[in-house]
Amino acid sequence: MPQPSKILGIYVHIPFCLSKCAYCDFYSFVPSGEEIMERYVNALLLHMSDYRESAAEYTCDTVYIGGGTPTTLPTELLVKLIRGIKKNFNLTREPEFTIEANPATVTPDMLRKLRRVGVNRISFGLQTGDNTELKMLSRRHNRADFERSYRMAREAGFDNISVDLMFGIPGQTMDSLMRNLRYAAKLKVEHISLYDLKLEPGTPLFVNRSNFVFPDEDAEADMYLRAVEYLNSEGYPQYEISNFAVPGRHSRHNLKYWNCFEYLGFGPGAHSYFNNNRFSYSRSIEKYIAGVEQPLAAVDIIDSSEEITPKERLGEYVMLRLRLAAGIKLDEFRFRFNADFEEMFGRKLVPYLRGGFMVRRENSIALTPSGMFVSNYILSDLLDFDSSVIWNGM
Amino acid sequence: MDRRKNIRNFSIIAHIDHGKSTLADRILEFSDTVAKRDMEEQLLDDMDLERERGITIKARAVRINYSAPDGEVYELNLIDTPGHVDFNYEVSRSLSACEGALLVVDATQGIEAQTLGNAYLAVDEGLEIVPVVNKIDLPSADPDRVRNEIEDVIGIPAEGCPAVSAKTGLNIEDVMAAVVSEIPSPDGDPDAPLRALIFDSVYNSYLGVVVYIRVMDGRVKAGDTIRLMSNGAEFEVVEVGHMSPFGLEADAELCAGDVGYITASIKNVGDTRVGDTITLAERPCTEALPGFKQALPMVFAGIYPADGSRYNETKEALEKLQLNDAALTFEPETSIALGFGFRCGFLGLLHMEIIEERLEREFNLDLITTAPSVIYEITKKSGEVVRIDNPSNYPTQDEIEVAAEPMVKASIITPTDFMGGIMDMCKDRRGEFKDMKYLDQTRVELFYRLPLNEIIYDFFDALKSRSKGYASLDYEPDGYDPSNLVKLDFMLNGEVVDALTFIVHSEKAYARARRIAERLKENIPRQLFEIPIQAAIGSKIIARETVKAMRKDVLAKCYGGDITRKKKLLEKQKEGKKKMRKLGSVQVSPEAFMAVLKLDED
Repeated sequence: MPQPSKILGIYVHIPFCLSKCAYCDFYSFVPSGEEIMERYVNALLLHMSDYRESAAEYTCDTVYIGGGTPTTLPTELLVKLIRGIKKNFNLTREPEFTIEANPATVTPDMLRKLRRVGVNRISFGLQTGDNTELKMLSRRHNRADFERSYRMAREAGFDNISVDLMFGIPGQTMDSLMRNLRYAAKLKVEHISLYDLKLEPGTPLFVNRSNFVFPDEDAEADMYLRAVEYLNSEGYPQYEISNFAVPGRHSRHNLKYWNCFEYLGFGPGAHSYFNNNRFSYSRSIEKYIAGVEQPLAAVDIIDSSEEITPKERLGEYVMLRLRLAAGIKLDEFRFRFNADFEEMFGRKLVPYLRGGFMVRRENSIALTPSGMFVSNYILSDLLDFDSSVIWNGM
Repeated sequence: MDRRKNIRNFSIIAHIDHGKSTLADRILEFSDTVAKRDMEEQLLDDMDLERERGITIKARAVRINYSAPDGEVYELNLIDTPGHVDFNYEVSRSLSACEGALLVVDATQGIEAQTLGNAYLAVDEGLEIVPVVNKIDLPSADPDRVRNEIEDVIGIPAEGCPAVSAKTGLNIEDVMAAVVSEIPSPDGDPDAPLRALIFDSVYNSYLGVVVYIRVMDGRVKAGDTIRLMSNGAEFEVVEVGHMSPFGLEADAELCAGDVGYITASIKNVGDTRVGDTITLAERPCTEALPGFKQALPMVFAGIYPADGSRYNETKEALEKLQLNDAALTFEPETSIALGFGFRCGFLGLLHMEIIEERLEREFNLDLITTAPSVIYEITKKSGEVVRIDNPSNYPTQDEIEVAAEPMVKASIITPTDFMGGIMDMCKDRRGEFKDMKYLDQTRVELFYRLPLNEIIYDFFDALKSRSKGYASLDYEPDGYDPSNLVKLDFMLNGEVVDALTFIVHSEKAYARARRIAERLKENIPRQLFEIPIQAAIGSKIIARETVKAMRKDVLAKCYGGDITRKKKLLEKQKEGKKKMRKLGSVQVSPEAFMAVLKLDED
């Protein structure tokens, strides 16, 4: 067996939920029964075994089971899945092993068993601590449910807990958002993901959008900047556009995305970056299971696939690294691409640096929080994935 | 026997939509050569665009051999005329090639402004006018009322004139009988020196320019050397002939009284201007036919390719259109805001729209067109007189002694119900009331003198909206008047956007400035920095607005490592940005620019 020399993240998608939330456009659905769940877990394990060989030279230091709601699966199936992951890939001794959970879908028994089998991080989809806003989002849980689940997780031994929070919810005010943040900080969670609610076409919330009053662009920007400031002051420094953590507790798995490290995704709709290829699987569980079960790939489950050229790699790196508060490290950039970042983009950066959207530190250039909130604008100005040269700052 | 006894040269004139082209189709069906099934609808209009818009742009002529009930075969030359006020001169030249005209009037609408305008043109040319009441199949048709109106208003006998439905073909034989009996056969001296009137010319890539003529005196055949009276240019005739419904048919010669065509390897329609006289170089006539003038553009606008790299394509497209349209002028122009483009001259707004549409449709170009302007005549304090067709070149106020603007004589026919509103509008547009005339109890003709720059600023649509579509307009140029004009500039981020500069009457400046500033605010997308919008006369700011800074443009989630989606999003955004034009330091999409310049009333 070859000596592992590269690192890899594993993502597993569990597309099951107890009900579908009004705003959600992830690939997920309410399963018809346990049978499909069992078939699905078996398909996942089968699929992973296909990668055993090609992943043999990799060490896996992060695993992320997301969804959907992974904790919709019966505990035994979850345990079977996790054991399978460990069997198929070379996990490090202490990987970051995350599972997403919705409040009120976990039990003390499940949590203890997950902990025992190696899961060491939980990400709760809290979204908001305001019961009215929770109803508005058609979440199944209320604040008390969350608190019970949170306590259970602590009691089961989880010392690394993240919560997802949202802003931009119809009817939300600066006050209610700040109450949420204070609430999370007071609970002393280790990690907070703060997303703005995005209206996705096709979702019930989108269809009925005219019935709701959403905070406008300015209100959202105010909320965002205030939240960043508050969380920083409460010991949750921002490390990415939407992510905040107490020192040392940032999500190592998600950082793989922003750092252009490799990861393998499993399940319908899951994305991978492996061997210079970005690819994803179609958003259909039937197709996925059928495709995995066919030995000769009779059913093509690939949805998208592209080879990343060196030129594109540079563009992706800029795009992704600028999501991070640390930004682009100039020496690292030079090492990776044998080019000078400022020489490449310097002229284009001037107005953003002057306008306070970017900041130049000793060895790095990064977006400021107000720059992060208009990062699409800036990135689409800096980068050009279509043209023959990726940058047009020269 | 004189062959000419059985020739009838005639046109059909009408207000737009009164059924001119449909009647032409029905007449063609009486020809021995065209079977109904072979005919395309509205055969005379051979440009797609014309057919789609239901209007005729370029005149054409078709010869029909008609076997009349009296046993004789008549040679009918139907000369089609353009149906819009922009092309009055072309209409008048087509008419002067005829001995008679069918005046088509809609039995449900009665006389409209262009009915009168065209009828007077025909009277001026000394034509025999045969009224035809059309659309009698419609329930609201009132042929008797319309006949009375024709007699009362135009003063020509209409009792017993044909009442038809061109659409269904009802009573068309009455029209044919009237053409034969009422319209005189042509005269002229076949042995005199050649005098032939050009009433149209069309460029064809195989034949060169095909010149449509009416021979007044003399004869012409292949091999003759012809001379154009206006410029002295000479060409050797390659072919003469006539136009059948199916195309060109060569003849041995064309003789006094004939309508036909000449080809002579002519490269440029600019050499064969409508209204010019053709004679023979060997035996020239002494005097040209009366009425020739150069059709001069009255309305100007900058036309720019939305994609700056397509400048040369735009130029080639304009050159191609000009091959067939001597009235279109263009010269290169540079705008700081829009880059390289052309200042184009048009006969009027419709002409401008047609050219724009043809450029976009036939040449697949995306264009940015600036607001139309007229030619201002400026007498400077130095005594120098300049003609300004581009507002950006307008002199500063302290250089100007007198500024003058072109005026028009306008006639508006409207149901009396809408008279008040229309008179208010004309007053608001600086019109000078001249006279009014009741056509009957319910309809009135108003006469105004108006500045042309008010007409090109959305007058037509405003007139329609104030009269529920019933009012009609006809106008002709009427010299220049001194006027209190100002140059209105717009600034984004403190920089003047040259493409948005207007010349406007000083009393109108404030309202116009506010409206355009608001439009700019609505249409300029938020950018990272706040954008002040200012309207100024000279250094005086008269209106201001602000586009607030963009604060949110982010894809917060990047879940499950879906990087491809994020890249695609940025690519799309980049794509949009590439289409943007820089107005000063501000990015504006061509659509937004056009929305700002859209001429309509709020």
